[in-house]
Amino acid sequence: MATVEVPYQETVPLHHPKTWIGKYIFSQDHKIIAVQYGVTAMAVGLVALILSEFMRLQIAFPGWEWMDFFTADHYYQAITMHGMIMVIYLLTAFLLGAFGNFCIPLMCGARDMVFPFVNMLSYWVYLLSVIILMVSYFVPGGPTGAGWTLYPPQTITAGTPGHDWGIATMLISLAVFIVAFTMGGLNYITTILQARTRGLTLMRMPLTVWGIFIATFLGLVAFPALFVSAVMMLLDNFLGTSFFMPAIVSLGEKLQYSGGQPLLFQHLFWFFGHPEVYIVALPAFGVVSDLISVHARKNIFGYRMMVWAIVAIGALSLIVWAHHMYVAGMHPSFGYFFATTTLIIAVPTALKVYNWILTLWRANIRITVPMLFALAFVLTFIVGGITGLFLGNVIIDIPLSDTYFVVAHFHMVMGVSPILAIFGGIYHWYPKLTGRMLNDTIGRIHFYFTFIGTYAIYFPMHYLGFIGVPRRYYETGISDFYPQTAHDLNVFITVAALIVGASQVLFIVNLVHSYFNGKKAPANPWGANSLEWCTPETPPRHGNWEDQLPTVHRWAYDFGVPGEEKDHVPQTVPRRKAS
Amino acid sequence: MATEGQQHPIKIYFLIWLLLFVFSFFSYLVDYLDLQGNLRWFLIVVFMLLKAGFIVAIFMHMKWERFALIFGILLPPLALVVLMFLMAIESNYAWSSRVQYMGEDPAPKPKPPPHMDHGEHGEDKDH
Amino acid sequence: MTDTTLSSQESIFTSTAKDWSSDMTTFKGVPWGKAMMWIFLLSDTFIFTCFLVGYMVMRMTVTEPWPVASEVFALTVWGVSVPLLLIAIMTFILITSSGTMAMAVNMGYQRRKWAVFWLMVATAALGASFVGMQCFEWPKLILEGVRPWYNPMGAPQFGSIFFMVTGFHGLHVSVGVAYLLIVAIRVVRGKYDHTNFEIVEITGLYWHFVDLFVVRTEA
Repeated sequence: MATVEVPYQETVPLHHPKTWIGKYIFSQDHKIIAVQYGVTAMAVGLVALILSEFMRLQIAFPGWEWMDFFTADHYYQAITMHGMIMVIYLLTAFLLGAFGNFCIPLMCGARDMVFPFVNMLSYWVYLLSVIILMVSYFVPGGPTGAGWTLYPPQTITAGTPGHDWGIATMLISLAVFIVAFTMGGLNYITTILQARTRGLTLMRMPLTVWGIFIATFLGLVAFPALFVSAVMMLLDNFLGTSFFMPAIVSLGEKLQYSGGQPLLFQHLFWFFGHPEVYIVALPAFGVVSDLISVHARKNIFGYRMMVWAIVAIGALSLIVWAHHMYVAGMHPSFGYFFATTTLIIAVPTALKVYNWILTLWRANIRITVPMLFALAFVLTFIVGGITGLFLGNVIIDIPLSDTYFVVAHFHMVMGVSPILAIFGGIYHWYPKLTGRMLNDTIGRIHFYFTFIGTYAIYFPMHYLGFIGVPRRYYETGISDFYPQTAHDLNVFITVAALIVGASQVLFIVNLVHSYFNGKKAPANPWGANSLEWCTPETPPRHGNWEDQLPTVHRWAYDFGVPGEEKDHVPQTVPRRKAS
Repeated sequence: MATEGQQHPIKIYFLIWLLLFVFSFFSYLVDYLDLQGNLRWFLIVVFMLLKAGFIVAIFMHMKWERFALIFGILLPPLALVVLMFLMAIESNYAWSSRVQYMGEDPAPKPKPPPHMDHGEHGEDKDH
Repeated sequence: MTDTTLSSQESIFTSTAKDWSSDMTTFKGVPWGKAMMWIFLLSDTFIFTCFLVGYMVMRMTVTEPWPVASEVFALTVWGVSVPLLLIAIMTFILITSSGTMAMAVNMGYQRRKWAVFWLMVATAALGASFVGMQCFEWPKLILEGVRPWYNPMGAPQFGSIFFMVTGFHGLHVSVGVAYLLIVAIRVVRGKYDHTNFEIVEITGLYWHFVDLFVVRTEA
């Protein structure tokens, strides 16, 4: 290039708000929006956590008079809301909305997202979707109880709790969420592609940004399928169309529907739903890669492989969706195709796990709290991933379908793992965000309760699944054919779940307490290299950088480079001329 | 950056404009001549793709974009091709099982629309 | 212009690799808004295609008869029933509007503000008349007894799909008309004088995209 390019953001001044409301409520600052996303997601996640505790109590002690208020309808509603909230309103919103907003501009050396106003709008529309979702507890009939997959026809036939109002609020809330996500996601992608700073090529970006990038991209192409199926199901429910509804007799009465194809919903749903798994997993991969590298003081093993693995997983995740439907009665030979693609996707995933482990190999590991969570993520992800190999095979999947084995699998792989990555990320970036360190002791206690507790919950579930205990049952009725151990284990799991749930209070106490009384954080407490630790102020001010944006000279993983004085070399340090 | 725009002779727009009408005319012809079966769908899809291609390439200026953008935009919809292909197989299967196991009529004749059969007009027969 | 001329000399793979591995921007010379609009359109493509997949599945799985489109959408002109006339006219209108839009973009880069304004208004007017035709088409079908849940000519899914897809598309067109008018007025008022009128091209992208899907939703 003949002309020297200047990052566009350096040429346009940022508009600084004057009022308190402009600064902190209707803020266009990506860091504030990240906090807003994070707090909302955590609040709604707490609701989902409490719902799960009710479900566990019911499963462990069916018929206990204290749980009388918790009817079968409530149970199914709790299942549905728990699943939907956790997957979409907590994990997706937190990993992309909170981490995405916080990390992308800082790690790309940008002042803010490319369109801060749209970014702000994204948060408020997300809040609206959460409110609509919560409203479903106050409409006649309560929220929908169809399970988070919302399969028709049972979703909108009488007998399912919330089949009229609840499903409407759920679907509308999802559609609104998709609008919010699209506004945010377009911003994230455009920022990553078009607003990087000098010298920051894609192959120098931290893996966190890579994970968020591909996940956002997946969201933009996968959420449309959910949007379409939500629209069609709303029409089925309220206009009486028959997209998904075959001719059906419900409660002894023939309904007006005819000729619909319920499998179409399942296909569309999982065309969204499987990429959704990776929308949640990929940012977690990225965050964990960075945490491991920083806290093990060693460059990430096989950076390029890691990037291409993320890209490959993203691409493959769009063509594996029907492995959720082996027992749904689809075309019999689809099993070949989808089992094959599913097992292929295990290759890049396994590659990532090997690279994490090889990064740890002979590294100078510092067992900090973020590192603990990162290590726990790797372990948990391996367990969940390996059971995924079981379930990816048609012949093993069929007997295990709809048992607790499945519950254990997806909670391990896309419930607990991303949550551990989120915790790790929060402990890692909290000092940069607030300028205070989180309390280390409380952090460790919180970690051990969470980590060991989740294993106490989900490990026994694999066994329950093998002996055939079905999932989603309010009570098993006459269940003498289950060994006594199954019942005992259920009680054990519930006790563990209660302890894990209660221990999350520690985390919130820690967040609040440290915000006011925590130790003052230095600019770079972990000795990390990526750009967010090079800001002139901690916490970074609106606009993040001085008049000039930083210049990047190297990748984010220069730890322990021979010949350097310090054990880490930030991205902004020029490379020495080869002598 | 980004100070140079897209400037092309207006002639090419008129050319494409005309071309689009020609294609529309042909796909209209497919219906008019009442072609049936695979030929019909093949022709409709071909004309559709041609028209879409010209709109994207000329009117939306993709022809003059750098290939970085072209690949970035045109590769992801391949996933949709997979979805469409598999859904076509699936629908075929669903249809054949409906015919085979539920005794549905494999070749039903559509009733003509009310304005064609000179019968009662606009009768509200729905429930 | 340097970028564009460069790309004609390198192979497409070299230029792609170079752009994707460069710093600062991946899409060279593309303003933020335009990049964002392209990505949004990619996402919207997935929405429309999912609707069309729904149409395809309905069409292929129903065992009740599917109405013959050329008969349903026939107009009786001077006593002769011309099949699909309405759809032909609507396609004509939208393609023409695409033409005027392309001209507007061209004028924008020549900085001829009033030409841009009138061409965009013409585009919007054509778009509005498209929606108007839809307002003619819908009651026609409804009077014939077609409902989203019922269709006197056979499969009820015909009505469902028709109203859903055309409704969704009509919504896009209406939004596009509003968008066009807003941009047109702002162009004349000189809101974009400091820029290079990329906004016209961005609006144009959206409009052509909407146009593109009428091409796909017919039949």
